[in-house]
Amino acid sequence: MSDLIQLFVNGLALGSVYALAAIGFVIVYSATGVVNFASGQFVMFGTFAGVSMLLDAGLPWAVGYLAVFVVMAVFGAGFFACLYLPLRKSPVATMIIGTVAIGILMQNVALLAFGSWPFRLPSPLDGLSVHMFGAVISAHALMVVAVTALLVGLLWFLLHRTPVGIGMRAVAQDMRAARLMGLEVNRLLALSWILAALLAGLAGLLLGPMWFADVNMGDPIALKAFAASIIGGFGSLPGAIAGGIFVGLTEVLGASYISSAYKDLIAFGIMILFLLVRPQGLFGERIQDRG
Amino acid sequence: MSMTRQAFLAAAFGAVLAFPVLPAAAQSGGPILIGATVPITGPLSLTGKQYYNSLKMAEEDINAAGGISGRKISIAFEDTQASNSTAVNAFVKLAQETKPAFFFLSSYSTQNLAVSPEVAKVGVPAVYAGGADVVSAAGNPWMFRIRPADSVAARAMVLCAQTVLKVSKPGIIYIQNDFGQGGANVAVKQFEAAGIKPVGVEAYGQNDKDFSAQMLSLRSKGADVILLFNYPQDGAMLLRQAKMLGLKMPVITSSAALVPAAMQLLTPADLDNVWGVVDAFIDPSVGPRMKDFMTRYKAKFGVDADPYGLAYYDAALLVAEGMRKAGLEPKALRDWIAVTKDWPGIGHTFSYDAHGNGIFDLAIVKAKPGTKTLQLVQHVSVK
Repeated sequence: MSDLIQLFVNGLALGSVYALAAIGFVIVYSATGVVNFASGQFVMFGTFAGVSMLLDAGLPWAVGYLAVFVVMAVFGAGFFACLYLPLRKSPVATMIIGTVAIGILMQNVALLAFGSWPFRLPSPLDGLSVHMFGAVISAHALMVVAVTALLVGLLWFLLHRTPVGIGMRAVAQDMRAARLMGLEVNRLLALSWILAALLAGLAGLLLGPMWFADVNMGDPIALKAFAASIIGGFGSLPGAIAGGIFVGLTEVLGASYISSAYKDLIAFGIMILFLLVRPQGLFGERIQDRG
Repeated sequence: MSMTRQAFLAAAFGAVLAFPVLPAAAQSGGPILIGATVPITGPLSLTGKQYYNSLKMAEEDINAAGGISGRKISIAFEDTQASNSTAVNAFVKLAQETKPAFFFLSSYSTQNLAVSPEVAKVGVPAVYAGGADVVSAAGNPWMFRIRPADSVAARAMVLCAQTVLKVSKPGIIYIQNDFGQGGANVAVKQFEAAGIKPVGVEAYGQNDKDFSAQMLSLRSKGADVILLFNYPQDGAMLLRQAKMLGLKMPVITSSAALVPAAMQLLTPADLDNVWGVVDAFIDPSVGPRMKDFMTRYKAKFGVDADPYGLAYYDAALLVAEGMRKAGLEPKALRDWIAVTKDWPGIGHTFSYDAHGNGIFDLAIVKAKPGTKTLQLVQHVSVK
């Protein structure tokens, strides 16, 4: 029983991080129709912003975290201005290649700036653990789950109860209609990118202490976030959350109870099954309905 | 005078044919060119940077000592990244453009396997550091290994479990690639030959970050020791998570988890009850040559040397000696390396067998309690 609890919490923590990355993925896709293949590198940037602020600059926790969010917001705005705006009228393939190229660029900039050695990003809860029915759960893992849950609530509030969020959803549904209604479409699109970057920054800060910060950490995250988005439903916020947690739990429980050698096969096999049988995922819109 | 395009192309083609491609080794005057295809960027650069640094240092040292019969050496690097095709392209590019007299290949077995046919085609000797036995089993006469083969390392880990820890219910966790799977298979066979059946064998992917399922599974099966076949970063993460999960049994890790890049991620507590079977014991107490190498490496690159980098440094000195004694003709140089016995490197004594394997000794180490300083437990020789 204690092992099951341990595995469940670890899977939940892992899934929460995937969910955060997937939400960033989904927000950008919903608002702009762009599949951001640099999303994993966004998370990596968030982790390394944390390394710069907390390890290199030695800032106190609150100031360091705030500085990371400022950096990520500026980065999101820069991404919008330098990549999305110039390419927004280009074919989708051009935009996708653009995000891939920027992702590679980000990875190599990080390699040049930080080198190939990984870093151990600290957590405010380092060394603390909770004993629960014989299981030893790290306090940081519990914090990850709690912060993700809180964030999902705040995000829902932002998107459904604030004029900015409602505007973002309006732009996502029909950009031309939103413009005709007098909404500042570019500002709202920029906000989507900033929001995605902020979420990636938070995912990076939460992830750093669980994994190590290294310049190659982005690709596996993007892959799992992509799988989570497919399973949950591309473009769906609840789907990204459910998908992320599903992938995290499948990885950990599948490795324990089925086979550690085939655990990725299980997760990606389920993703392929969804693509074949229910391509809109658990919560997604029917793909052919999107304009 | 005008010239048609066809005439120009014919003249150019004729000119190319008139000057046959000469290996750089045969060219006189300039430096002796040596090729090195190692991972300088990408996920494998964590260890690849050590090879790069060590080879740069060896180049300087060999030239400072008078070079090869008065000629300096120059190492041309190409990046293999983390891809077999990139490794092949890097090798072919050097072979065609630089035409080196000798090659250093990467330490990743799949890259070594991918490049092996090209090495045979070019017919220039090369050293590699990939551990997979299948590389040497392929029987490429031009390739020589400069680290212990994976089967040698796995057998040393089993010896550590049997003779040092005297345990009887081993569990194994391995990274899912040629190194991990090969090592785990050898370890299982070695245990079974001694009448011990491992209680469980668990795998993980190269990009995995959570190992709780594998470790808890072995704990629930009653493992009294865990053998880890890992790379540096995941090795550090495994050791850390073992402590977070409260595992009490000893852990025997392969070399990678105890290289400086991984050690800087660990605390002394993470290393408690951890035993390492490492390629070479890097410590000033080994002798003045080791002390000198460690000191100069740290001063030059700002990081500590690891056993993999040392293997490349030693190999460079070995090859330099071969060039001085046998000359630059590829076959003569190859033959000299092939019969090398008891050549005293800093980290190892090199003695090549018929399959191009030259290293058969490792070191069992353990951190001094409460510190991250590794201490030698014993040397292990596996023939």
